[in-house]
This record gives sequence, structure tokens and C-alpha cells, in this order.
Amino acid sequence: MFRKDFKAFQLFHTKTEDIEQLKTFSAEDFELASAAEKENMVEKRKSVSYWKDAFRRFKKNHVSVVAFFLFLLICIFAFVGPYLIPYSYEEQYRNSMKLGPFENSEAEIMAEEILQDCDAIYATSLQPGSLTGLKKGLYTFKDGSDWYVFRLKKNLSDSVIVFDKDFDYPIYFIKEKDYMAGEYELNAVAYEVHSEQPEEITVLEFDRSVFPHVFGTDSAGRDIMSRSMYGARVSILIGIIASLIVLVIGSIYGSVAGLVGGKVDFVMMRIVEIIYSVPDVLIVLLLQVVLQEPLQNWFDTSEVAFVKSLGTLGTGIISIFITFALLYWVGMSRIVRGQVLMLKEQEFVTAANVLGAKNGRIIKRHLLPNCVGQLVIATCLQIPSAIFLESYLSFLGLGISAPMSSLGSLCSDAIETITLYPYRLIFPAVILSLLVLSLNLVGDGLRDALDPRLKK
Amino acid sequence: MTGYVLKRIGISFLTLLLVAAIAFALMNAIPGSPFYTEKSTPEMIARAEAKYGLDKPLPVQFYNYIKGYFSGDMGVSLKMQEGTPVADIIFNQGKFELSLKIGIAALMVAVCLGIPLGVLAAYNRGKWIDSFLRVFTTIGVAVPSFVMATLMLIVFAVNLQWLPVRSEQLETFSSCVMPVLAVAFYPMCYIAKLTRTSMLDAIGQDYIRTARAKGLKTGKILFKHALRNSLIPVITYVGPLTAGIITGSFVVETTFSIPGLGKYFVSSIMNRDYPIIMGTTVVLAALIIVMNLFVDIAYKIVDPRINLAKAED
Repeated sequence: MFRKDFKAFQLFHTKTEDIEQLKTFSAEDFELASAAEKENMVEKRKSVSYWKDAFRRFKKNHVSVVAFFLFLLICIFAFVGPYLIPYSYEEQYRNSMKLGPFENSEAEIMAEEILQDCDAIYATSLQPGSLTGLKKGLYTFKDGSDWYVFRLKKNLSDSVIVFDKDFDYPIYFIKEKDYMAGEYELNAVAYEVHSEQPEEITVLEFDRSVFPHVFGTDSAGRDIMSRSMYGARVSILIGIIASLIVLVIGSIYGSVAGLVGGKVDFVMMRIVEIIYSVPDVLIVLLLQVVLQEPLQNWFDTSEVAFVKSLGTLGTGIISIFITFALLYWVGMSRIVRGQVLMLKEQEFVTAANVLGAKNGRIIKRHLLPNCVGQLVIATCLQIPSAIFLESYLSFLGLGISAPMSSLGSLCSDAIETITLYPYRLIFPAVILSLLVLSLNLVGDGLRDALDPRLKK
Repeated sequence: MTGYVLKRIGISFLTLLLVAAIAFALMNAIPGSPFYTEKSTPEMIARAEAKYGLDKPLPVQFYNYIKGYFSGDMGVSLKMQEGTPVADIIFNQGKFELSLKIGIAALMVAVCLGIPLGVLAAYNRGKWIDSFLRVFTTIGVAVPSFVMATLMLIVFAVNLQWLPVRSEQLETFSSCVMPVLAVAFYPMCYIAKLTRTSMLDAIGQDYIRTARAKGLKTGKILFKHALRNSLIPVITYVGPLTAGIITGSFVVETTFSIPGLGKYFVSSIMNRDYPIIMGTTVVLAALIIVMNLFVDIAYKIVDPRINLAKAED
């Protein structure tokens, strides 16, 4: 760049006498600009990308940020939580039925007492990983690297096995009811100690702590917190997957209708109109029942690992997905079509057309990236509605089937005993409401951030 | 206008036919016969199927259903109330009436409370009442209706004992309060949110400033000038709202053990009573579709600027 240009650039900031000076040029005016002068011309501020700008706007919206962290918290609860607590969602703990929040059963309290002077305890009626009775045979206690092997001479049920390294006989048994009554003898006759680790043994893991049932347990002795965690997981997964299905179908359908236009658009939009007025709930309920058996057969007979893993989710969830794929994409397709109708008149689409791009490429490379904001907003707001639908269905007894739990089915289970154990409803219901609330608020924040034109 | 209405009616009929076809196809896709029990022999099943015409080809069966509906004959129940005409079950046993009662009351509550709440929030923008309403409505759209119903049941019926726990026939006013509120709560909050947003939009317009400058009273400005122009999003929502209220009534009828149509529909699916499934589906679908039709026509009345004939372009 020449120094003269640079001077001309400075014109805007100069006074009239400086302009007078410009009339006469000297040789030095035509010298190359120095590096320092060039530096001045360089844009100091980096241009802000769409996403960065949106992120900045989102950050300013404190409610949405808090809601986002709340959502993250629920996700941690749902996806990490089950690994942190020792209870599984399906196991029925025999002695721990109908416990209130933070309560432990008598057996668990007993375990805690014994633990205070023993190294380990293993009881037939205690969580976690408890057995429903020990049969005759060889068992091995593993404590760090030490092995304690013993042969059980008779079947034991409802007995507590206590392990105490400092004791002459490290393993002994106490009848649960004897312990409760306060009179018990150490029954050291029932086993022989082996010094070496034999083959084919049952290893008993140690449980050195007793974990409280934070949300209580249900009538079958299942831990409600663990079930809530799995329920929240199911709800979140359903919400996200169903919204993605809606996103894919809706955006493809809408952009094809919008871009092709004419008769195709007319027919496609009439189809949308008809599907839009189909009462979804009725169809969903019917679909749930219809798909149950064929889906179950498909899961049972299929060799593909993916299909088998679907089977563990149960037929209810899959038919919810099918329903979304059949009925719920119409709203999304209308949004996308509207955007595409607007965008397709713009020059860059004409340019792509002139350069010979096919419709598929125009949609993929030019149209959809330009309405990504709208797509993100609509998808995000679709998630809570999917979660709601699933919980309604589960509440009516049609969604998730036991032993798998969802927040809706937990609420439905709780209704029967609502007057006696209201907390069984309150925990899953609060989690469900917080989940939907946080997603709604995040969606609102995203709308303001990604589509500033809408902001009031 | 007439052309548009006729076209809309045509599409509505097509939709209803489609819904009936989907429902018919779906219920026939359930494997096995509805008459199958552990004790029944193939001959017994065949005899029962022949009695109700289930042995005929599917298109013939479907055609018979549709032909029957045009003459008011909805077939007879297969199992749940064997031999009773479906039309009687739906309309004469008080089921439809009961559901309709809850539905209409909920619709009224949602609209008649939701809109004023939205106006109130918009008018008091930024003040404590607006903040309170915003929190209230935001929570309201996040709580599922079955949770709402159960919470009300615990608080008002069990603990405070203001309202009856069982409200089967809904004869008294107090027995209607909880079911109606449980159904109406979500749509009410949603409508209040919608109204607030569009009212704020309208209040910022020039013609409101003009009206204020003319010296009109605030109430008149709000309700006559601003509200009328901000009702369109609300009306758009009334269509889906009807469907939502029907969903809500399924759940609420289960919670409060009200023997309404929603509850009956769910159990008819479980029992595979084909004519009842078909009949209920068609009646409920017709309700929703007619509401959508009214909503579309109501646009024109609220906002004459909308050109119905070209509305789709």
C-alpha cells in the first residue's frame, strides 16, 4: 500500500489545512508504507462468528444459563448417578420395602452396627448385590489380596455373615432374628477354612458401607432414587432422539417442498395439513398397542446386536419414536419450508443454481445451514414435548414397561399409594418438571440468542 | 370466503376419513383375534368372528363401518358391553357428556383466565406482578397435568378436605373444580404467556400511542385496541389446545376415576373392542377437526386483513 492511499484514508479525520497540503505531492508520498503504518490498517478486532455472537447473547440471559446448568445437573443425575449408588433400578430388596426418604431397613441398620467392629459384612438380606440365601458349597471372601475360602455345610437363609480378620475364626454367621433379639452365638462350626484358593467358587464381594435410600423404596423394595435416575435417563434419551427424528424428517420434507415449489409443494403441503389435523393422541395410543407384539418378536428373533439393544429399552419407547416419525415432523417441516421459501430467492441460491448445483446440494450446502438457528430452536423446544408425551403414555400404562422405569411410570406407580407415601410421587414429578422447565427456558434463551430479530 | 370454507370442510372430511382408515388399519394390525382367550377353540373364535362380520375381507369391513357412520349406525360392542350399540355407549351412557363437560369447562377456564392474566402481565411489565406471573406460568407449562391433578387431590381433597376425593359423576360444582383445573392449568399458563408476548408487541405500536394521546381510558385501550390485535396467536393455539385437552382428560379421568370417554377409549384399546375403538376415535377426531375448522374461520373474523383464499401462499 502506498503512503498516499494511507493519507487519503486519513482524510476523514483531518482538518481543512491538512487537505490543502494534500494538493501538492512530493516524492516521499509515493514511498511504500512501513510495517508500522500497515499495522494501523489491520482490523484490530476479529470478526465475530454467528455462533460466537449467539453464545455471547445467550450468556447474557442469566435465566437460560441457570436453566442450562440445571439441565446439565439432571443429566449428571441421570447418566452418572446410577454408577455412584449401589442400588439397581430393577432389584427388589426383600427387607427394604416401603421405606421413606433417607431411611434404611432394620437389616441395613444392623449391618451398619456390625460394621463398626468388623471389617466386612455380607448378609443374605442386605444390599447391595445381596443374595436371597446362601446354598451349601464353596465360597470365597476376597479382601484386597487376601483370600478366605470356606465351605458352607448347610443352606443358610436370612443369615448375616460377618468377617473379622482379628478373630480366631474370621468368618461367622448370625441368624438375623437372633441378632435382632440381642442374643446370638458365633456359629463357627458351619464352615471349614481353606488356605488356598480353590477352583469353581463363588466370590462374595465386601460391602463396607450401607447407603441410605435417599428417595425411599417402593412397595416391591426397589430403590426409588435409582429408578428415578434411570427414568430421567429414559426421558432425556426419548426427548433427544425423538426430536432428532423430527428434525431430520421435517427439514428434508420442508426444504424439498419449499425449494421445488409448484404442484409438488401444493401436494406436499396438503399432506402436511391433513397429518396436522390428525388427532395424535388417539393414533399414539393405538400404535402403542399394535406395535407391542410385532416389535417384541422382532427383538427376540433378530440377530443384529443393535436391534437387540433396542429390545432392552422395551417396545413402548420404540413405538413412541415411530409415532414421532409418523406424525410430529409436520410442525418442523412448516418452519423449514417458510425459511426455504425466503432463502431461495436470494442471490447465493441463484448463483449455486447457475453453477449447476443440483437441488440436493443446494439444500444441503446452502439452504439448511442458513436456517440452522431456526432448526436448533425448534428441535430444542421439541424435546420437552416428547418428554411430556412419553410421560403421559407411561402414566396411562402404555409407555415403558416394568422393570424399566420412566418418570411417567414412576408417577403412575405412586398414584395408587399417594395418600400413604406422597414422596413417591413428589420426587419423580419434581425431576420431570425441572427437566421440562429447564429445557423450556434453555429453548427460550436459544431463540433470543440465535434469532435476534425475534427478540422484543 | 365461501369457497375457502367449503374447501376446508372438504379437507376436514378427508382427514376424518384418513383417521378412520389409520385407526382401522392399526387395530387390525394387532396380531390374533379379539375373541382369543385361553379356553376358546378355533371354531368358537370363527363363530364369534362371523357373528360380527369380522370374517369378511378388510376393505368390506371398512366400507361397512363408513357406510354405517353416515346412517348413524356405529356397530355394536364386541366384548366390553356385548351387543350394545356403540352409539348408545358413547352418547347415551353419559360418557361423552361427562368428557364434554370437563373439556368445555377447561377450555373456558383456560381462555377466560389465561387471556386476562396475559394482559395483566403485559400491562404491568417489569413490575412484581409481571415477574410473579412469569414464574407462575413458566412453572405451569412444565408440570404435567397428572402431577397437577394428583397434587390438587392431596392438598385440597385429602389434607384440607375442601373438595370431594371422588368425583365420579361431576354433579356438584365442587366435584368439577379439580378435574377441570387439572386439565385447564397447562393451557391457561400457555395462553397467558402467548397473550403477554403479543400484547407487549401490540402495546408498542403507534396506534396505541395515538389512542393514548386521544385520551382514551386505559381499559379501553387495552381491551379494545391492543387485545384485539394480539389475539391471533392465541386463536392459533386453540386448535391444538382442543387436542391437548382431550389428552389431558384421558389422564385426569384416570386420576379422578371419572368414567368418561377418554378412560373408556383407553380400556377399549386394551380390550380390543374394535367397534368401540373406531367409534371413539371417529367421534374424538371429529371434535378436534371441527375445532380446527372453527379456528381457521375465526381468523377471518378477528383479523379481516387475513385473506383466506390466499392464506396458504
